[in-house]
Amino acid sequence: MNDVLAGRALTKRFGQTVALAGVDMAVRPGEAVAIMGPSGSGKSTLLHCLAGIMRPDSGEVRLEGTRIDDMGERRRSALRRTRFGFVFQFGQLLPELPADENVALPLMLGGVTRAEAVRRGREWFAPLGLGGMEARRPGELSGGQAQRVAIARALVTKPAVVFADEPTGALDQTTGHDTMRLLVEATKHNGASLIVVTHDPGVAGWCDRTVEVRDGVLLAAGARA
Amino acid sequence: MNVGLTWRLLKGGGRRGMLGTWLTLGAVAVSTALLLFAVAVDFAFAARADRGAWRNPVAAGSRPAVAIEASRHDYVRGREITVVDLAALPGRSPEPPPGLPRFPAPGEVWLSPALAGLADRLPAAELAARYPKRAGVLGDEGLVHPDELIVVAGRAPDAPELTAARSSDWIVGSQPVKVASLAGEPTEDAEGYQVLGLIASVLMVVPLLVFGGAAARLTVARRDQRLAALRLVGATPGQVVAMTVAEAVIVAFAGALAGAVAYALAVPLLTRVRIDGGPWFVADLWPHPLVMAGTVVAVPLLTGLSAVAGLRRVVVSPLGVAKRETPPGMRWVRLLALVAVLVAVPVVSRGDSVGLIAVVIGLAFLSINLVGPWVVGLIGRITAASARRPARLLAGRRLVDDPRSAWRTVSGVALTGFVAGFLGLLSPGTLAGTQDTGHLRVSAPAGQAATVAQEARDRLKRAGVGAAVTTRKDVVVIALKDATPITDEDARRRALDGAPAQAAPAALDRARTALTGLVPGRTPTTQADDEYFGGQILGDIAVGTVVVLSVSFLVAIASAGITAASSVLDRRQTYALLRLAGTPLEVLDRARRAETLIPLAVMGGGAILVGAFCGVPFMITDPNLTGLVTLIVCVAAGFAGVVGAGALSRPLLRSVTADPAPRPD
Repeated sequence: MNDVLAGRALTKRFGQTVALAGVDMAVRPGEAVAIMGPSGSGKSTLLHCLAGIMRPDSGEVRLEGTRIDDMGERRRSALRRTRFGFVFQFGQLLPELPADENVALPLMLGGVTRAEAVRRGREWFAPLGLGGMEARRPGELSGGQAQRVAIARALVTKPAVVFADEPTGALDQTTGHDTMRLLVEATKHNGASLIVVTHDPGVAGWCDRTVEVRDGVLLAAGARA
Repeated sequence: MNVGLTWRLLKGGGRRGMLGTWLTLGAVAVSTALLLFAVAVDFAFAARADRGAWRNPVAAGSRPAVAIEASRHDYVRGREITVVDLAALPGRSPEPPPGLPRFPAPGEVWLSPALAGLADRLPAAELAARYPKRAGVLGDEGLVHPDELIVVAGRAPDAPELTAARSSDWIVGSQPVKVASLAGEPTEDAEGYQVLGLIASVLMVVPLLVFGGAAARLTVARRDQRLAALRLVGATPGQVVAMTVAEAVIVAFAGALAGAVAYALAVPLLTRVRIDGGPWFVADLWPHPLVMAGTVVAVPLLTGLSAVAGLRRVVVSPLGVAKRETPPGMRWVRLLALVAVLVAVPVVSRGDSVGLIAVVIGLAFLSINLVGPWVVGLIGRITAASARRPARLLAGRRLVDDPRSAWRTVSGVALTGFVAGFLGLLSPGTLAGTQDTGHLRVSAPAGQAATVAQEARDRLKRAGVGAAVTTRKDVVVIALKDATPITDEDARRRALDGAPAQAAPAALDRARTALTGLVPGRTPTTQADDEYFGGQILGDIAVGTVVVLSVSFLVAIASAGITAASSVLDRRQTYALLRLAGTPLEVLDRARRAETLIPLAVMGGGAILVGAFCGVPFMITDPNLTGLVTLIVCVAAGFAGVVGAGALSRPLLRSVTADPAPRPD
């Protein structure tokens, strides 16, 4: 099966610090991959390079066979808006917007009318256990609820790949467990691939396989039993 | 301990933290410099009034008289000369007037430096011959302004200049009066200028205070999350307040000092603004050291107080800032405050005291400031409800989320709009004068018109000035030959002495010089001379309007620029994440623009209307084209300034969103 997203020989330096030293990584359609490693190992840098947020110093990134790392910022930006979804540890929701408009925003940015965007956004609320919370603002949601809104927002554009950076880092164990289950299930149900950066083996356990990054190098890759 | 920790946090704020600190410092510096100017204006007019008081004699009354004093106006090259006649009473040794080393002896004259210079430059027959026995030059302490043209003539107590009746009109001069001293009292026009100065100060000070308050909130806006974190780890409300005050005061004190220095550097330029016929002495625009010190101390203290007010939410609840909740709706009672003021203005404006005018303007200002955030919130709800595109939706939601912050961005222009609306109606047009300088007129003592006319003919003939001299009742009219007729119909209709004409300035001044002393105590004047005072005060109001609007604009634009930049810094995490998720920079920028322009259009327009409404009771002439043009230019410049100032922070927006994930992890 062809890879949906593939990074080849990726390197990245920040001053004297080597964040990535020739990393190869590929993700298949519908696959969930966890990137693990200690703080400062380069796992977030790898995610940002794969997601087109950051350009690697060398190497290449391809999405569905098309090279994206040499695209201009405008095209990469459009790509992130339409083909990728993002879930982060905290702060990714706009505090001024109610939950349904937060979810609808990526669709509106893509040109969908507001009414249609909000309607389609709201369809995600009940399946994610957020029924009745459409009009709440992020400050009025619990941490777990806010992460589920973020999952809805990441998936509403039907992306090819969802990137999650420590998605349960700010949640207690039970809520984190529920959130990961919802993230993996909803992503797969949507036909998207998932790349999760985490240092928590419990979180990584929800993924199909785990890769470990240490000192900018991909050490090992293992499939879930 | 608190101050030490505050200082370390201030220094350790990072590049962007320091940028925010510099913005606050800059805002306070601008506020302080303009505040000093607004305060100095009042002291400057008061100093002028005091220095000019000695020419406005007060009758001795029951006190023993020591001298006789009278004043009138003469003219040269279209400028006004103040002529003060002084005589010591027999056996008395009055104190000399300010600027003279001794009391002038009969026959001698003392000229101001500007008049002496002019007399030296012009041919003697045009000016110097009017003052044949010059004894010296007046010192600055006797002058209203450095360019003032004034002559002090010593007379005998029984000289005709001090015994003949003069015009009773205070604009023309003052009757001979026996005085106990030359202290005098401020003239009516000096007091009029003080009133205008006070109005200008109020119009400038209120936006400045609002701006200063906004600057203080900037400090808090950047710090509230950090201070909330301090509360979460156990800092007491007192410690949080102390640290906030310390930080705001440290930055504001530095800003106030910088503002004082900036003002000091600007004073030489400001002295060139010509009001009431001339520029200013540097000392006039230099506030008393106590005022200067008071301002430099008061500004940081007010900034500290404003910062504390902004921090109430943090102090009350450590989670108040950490958690973003639906903000409580602004209370409509704010609107009631504005309505109350609008109802009160026509009622209280029936009085004519200066204090009342200042209070009315101040109240209107404050009510606009009170109602502003409420209206911004309302505009935000309407914008959000009607938004179809992301930029307008974001803008509308942000306005609803933090209407006070949005108001801070536009409040400067809104308050300037009030000033423009107020002054747009008040500012009179140019006086519809005749500009007739072809005829000189002087009143002769009763029954002596023919004699005076003959004397005039003789003098003019000797001086080689061609003129036709006629009489009309007791008025002698001298029509200068070779004057150019004025064709303007309006001027012809208003002319007192037949067809109006404009004489060559040199010929006119030769005639004036030849006729000096023709009728003791009276000056032959043209109709243009008689219109001089009216034209000058209207011109001065126009200059004052430009000065006030310029200051208001500076405040508005600085305010818009600083709050826009600060807003980018405050929202940098949100902006960065939006860009990370693929939001184009243009969408973010459009949202920012809409967030400013929508309330600006509504509030700016509203404030102009309120200003115009408040100005109606004080109108002295019909609204005029000049006022309307001033208003339109003001609105256009205000919008352009705010948009431009907002655009300046676009590179900052690009910078804070350029690398949304800088961590090398």
